[in-house]
Amino acid sequence: MISIAVSSQKGGVGKTTVSINLAHAFARAGVRTLLVDGDPQGSVGLSLTRQSRLLAGFYDYLTDPGIPLDRLIVPTRLETFSLVTSGQASDYEAGGGMGAHLARVRAFLRSVSARGFDLCLIDTAAGLFGVTGDVIASSDAIMIPQQAEPLGIRSVPKLLEGLNRLRVMNPQLSVLGVCLTMVQNDLAESVEAADALRELLPQNMVFQTQIPRDSLFVRASARGLPVGVLEDGAGAQVVFDSLRGEIEAKLEPNDGKNADRGQ
Amino acid sequence: MNPIYPWLDPIEVRRLAERLMMPAKASEISVKEAGFDEAFVGYASSPPPSGPATQATPAPVAAPAPEPTRGSAPVATHPEPVQQPVSETISATARGPFLDRIQQFRDWMHHNFSASGVFLLDREGSVIFDESDHGRLHFLARSLAQASRRQGSSATNVHVKIGASATLEVIPVETPYGCLVLGAVVPDALPPAAVTAVMRALLQVSSPQA
Repeated sequence: MISIAVSSQKGGVGKTTVSINLAHAFARAGVRTLLVDGDPQGSVGLSLTRQSRLLAGFYDYLTDPGIPLDRLIVPTRLETFSLVTSGQASDYEAGGGMGAHLARVRAFLRSVSARGFDLCLIDTAAGLFGVTGDVIASSDAIMIPQQAEPLGIRSVPKLLEGLNRLRVMNPQLSVLGVCLTMVQNDLAESVEAADALRELLPQNMVFQTQIPRDSLFVRASARGLPVGVLEDGAGAQVVFDSLRGEIEAKLEPNDGKNADRGQ
Repeated sequence: MNPIYPWLDPIEVRRLAERLMMPAKASEISVKEAGFDEAFVGYASSPPPSGPATQATPAPVAAPAPEPTRGSAPVATHPEPVQQPVSETISATARGPFLDRIQQFRDWMHHNFSASGVFLLDREGSVIFDESDHGRLHFLARSLAQASRRQGSSATNVHVKIGASATLEVIPVETPYGCLVLGAVVPDALPPAAVTAVMRALLQVSSPQA
């Protein structure tokens, strides 16, 4: 199994949109995918019924060793696609600093692997500390959505410093790269910021696929749905199929390394 | 004009990014980058130099303080100062190439604390010295050292019971080369006075020759 943390230093960069749609793209391709809402303020579970939203979730698992994984998993209409919500406990209840939940996060990932999933995609809360830090320190790989605007890109040095620190805890962490989001091709500042980031970072660190700012994504993420399930969303799904293809290519050489890593 | 360059150091950002994109194996730092001086002769995987090793002087360790609580969970302890001067904890003649000095320190740990599986990680988490040959212990030590670090303060020693009569003691030590993390398997958790003695001894052997 491969675990991928979707994380960023800054909030509001499109982590949840990327997570939901990317997980959906993998699941549509036949990959048994578990999407985990690691952000207590996230909206991965928004599309679920009220009853499902009251189920225990990721943060409950971290705070209560008595909760088995099976109680957390919410199936979807797509057989290969399941969710784990953030749950009823919050990051405040989870408490603790960096490393406080490392063992539980790793136990969670081991259980997910044992349950037969091929991919566990974790949408984390913004920042690289607390539970998010523990998730990154336990995952096989990380991808970083980054809003294509100058202010957001100024946070990149802090992001890189933070990731280098976390890599000390998790030397096997594979950095899949930065994915530019909310790109506005009709806005010079947005295009310039995207170009500047590509110039700044090594070529293999920035995904070729860019996520455009599109009202479809806003509509879909507001409902906690993949864009592909919207009536007019099939075209937009192509963007995430392309992103999936890039990730598969990046993971391919590491198959041997990542397969069933003893977390 | 590039909209972001005035706000950051592109060379530094590029360096950080390239380091992140290195495969795990290749991310091991170079000797030069580690800041070790000419006395550093290589990592422990290389055959040790055959030069005469100076015998470390066994150290009288202060009377054991009340033993801290032990259990399966890691426990952070705060060492108390001990009276012995550094020269009494390990021979002042323990000089020579870096790896020789660390081996003398290892012998001293064996003699005084019945330590086995002594290893030393650098600030990047790479292995400098290892007789444990157990990657999982390195990982555990890195995680514990990181977890013990409080905001605005340096990391403290941590121990965790790993067997019926085996405890992994993890002692981060600030040295001229940055924070080194010492890991050692000992029969029981070290009392605070012993931890202080170990920290001083490691600081002494890891410091560049005067």
